[in-house]
Amino acid sequence: MKKLRQEFADLMLEIGAVDNDLVVLVGDISHGILQPFAQKYPDRYYNVGICEPTIVNMSAGLSKVGLTPVVHTIAPFIIERSYEQIKLDFGYQNLPLNLISVGGAYDYSQLGCSHHCYTDVSLISHIENSCVMMPGTAKEFKILFNQSYKKNCINYFKLTEYPHSYDIDEKHVTLGKGVKVCDGSDFTIFTVGSMLQNVLEVKEFFTKKNISIEIIYFHTLKPFDHEIVLESAKKTKNILTVEELSAHDGLHNLVLKSLAGKLDLNVNQLAINGFVHGYGSYKEIQDKAGLSVDKIIKKIEIALELKNEQ
Amino acid sequence: MLNTDLRIKIVEMVKRSGEGHIPSSFSIVDILDFLYGNILKVDSENPKWDQRDHFILSKGHGCGAFYAVLHKYNFITDKDIIDYSKRDGILGGHPDMRFVPGAEASTGSLGHGFPTAVGTALGLRIKNKNNKVYALVGDGECHEGTIWESAQVARNLNLGNLVAIIDWNGSASQLMPIDDLPAKWEAFGWKVSVIDGHSKNDMELVFKNISLNINGTPQVIIAKTIKGKGVSFIEGHGKWHHRIPNEIEFKNILDELSQ
Repeated sequence: MKKLRQEFADLMLEIGAVDNDLVVLVGDISHGILQPFAQKYPDRYYNVGICEPTIVNMSAGLSKVGLTPVVHTIAPFIIERSYEQIKLDFGYQNLPLNLISVGGAYDYSQLGCSHHCYTDVSLISHIENSCVMMPGTAKEFKILFNQSYKKNCINYFKLTEYPHSYDIDEKHVTLGKGVKVCDGSDFTIFTVGSMLQNVLEVKEFFTKKNISIEIIYFHTLKPFDHEIVLESAKKTKNILTVEELSAHDGLHNLVLKSLAGKLDLNVNQLAINGFVHGYGSYKEIQDKAGLSVDKIIKKIEIALELKNEQ
Repeated sequence: MLNTDLRIKIVEMVKRSGEGHIPSSFSIVDILDFLYGNILKVDSENPKWDQRDHFILSKGHGCGAFYAVLHKYNFITDKDIIDYSKRDGILGGHPDMRFVPGAEASTGSLGHGFPTAVGTALGLRIKNKNNKVYALVGDGECHEGTIWESAQVARNLNLGNLVAIIDWNGSASQLMPIDDLPAKWEAFGWKVSVIDGHSKNDMELVFKNISLNINGTPQVIIAKTIKGKGVSFIEGHGKWHHRIPNEIEFKNILDELSQ
């Protein structure tokens, strides 16, 4: 099975041949495997140094002059260490960027917690113009990258070292769409990225016990396919989310959001959804964010009206 | 050289809105005026002009001076200045490049503008363009690690189209007294010049004789400045860093600047 990191190297070479704006910057990770690209396009390949925040930050300059930066290193350094650079230099300024990590969650299992990263997806998701992809195979990565790398947003591709074995038809790999891996009637498992492999084995176990499991798989978490969640949850009424991501955010929260207000629940939320541009007094900025007294009252009134209609 | 008109404009903006960093603006306003009046290839009618030089105010809290200079050179209007830091205005306590004509980067968090300038210089070279990149960095901002990461990167990539200007007003040494900035930048391999950042003669000598190439050694101009320069009781460090003048102080500031 082809490794996702090899696909990354092959894809840069392939796209680099037709897109003169593609520039690859790395922090001394995957330097060897990227040599074909580096040698063919030395002006568009930079093994910058061990300075991840600066690599991300300077990519904003590349983006400003119309180039398409691809920044690559391992997940904790590209996301957690460089988070303010991603937030301000790309999010606040609305500039496009492609971030490609390896070694997320427990891929570097033998290197200890300094190299474990499971909050990355949550962090990136907070930034309003971000897209978050966790492809589970090289094929999924190639398709998703081609679909999204030129979009005017912050694309985050979290590449796994442990691809799953399920081959999804190319026509079903679409940015932001979930995939029904198998039909079931008793229980739904929602999962993401490489965790599909374990979930497939779980299904086999329960099939032998005549328990019907439905599997809904996501390669993209932002944008998220809420409809496929609702459809399956309505059917089975028993759901489990399985993800190699922080329990404090991620797929589980997304699933809850999918169900809020749709079943026998009246769930509402007021929170900060992104940048509030501009200036003014504290109260004025709070109002713009939808958190003023008036906005809270309006939210409750709408929620109560909806409840009465039901 | 003392741009009293620009300083008055800055103080009026801060007084009117109740927001701003007067001393930080006063220490850089002469440099900014000189750059926009004599050095930068820019076009206020077309701020995104393809052939322009890029100027990035990395120490974003000095934006009072930046706005006053952008106004003087017709990038922004009287109304923009009057609406500074108000709900429907485009100018705030730190510049937002999405709204301010002539602002190349949204700065405020220190240590971001300069790496952006390094990337811009690299990007222009990749595109084989001759535009120059200037970044104004605070000396306190030089506490940030990204400044030195970027200094190393720029030197190793031979970004000869890049100029850093350091506002050496002594803020940094308040906290870290070992503050030999010229030696530090020399150690990072940059071409270093030291000037008086309030002297037109010094600026003419250095800026007009700079030779910038798409490949070469990046240059840093370390400008010795006085925080709050121009008003005796504001000069130096202390309570005036983010203070809004009351009515009496406001009058006293204007009196000193009008002398």
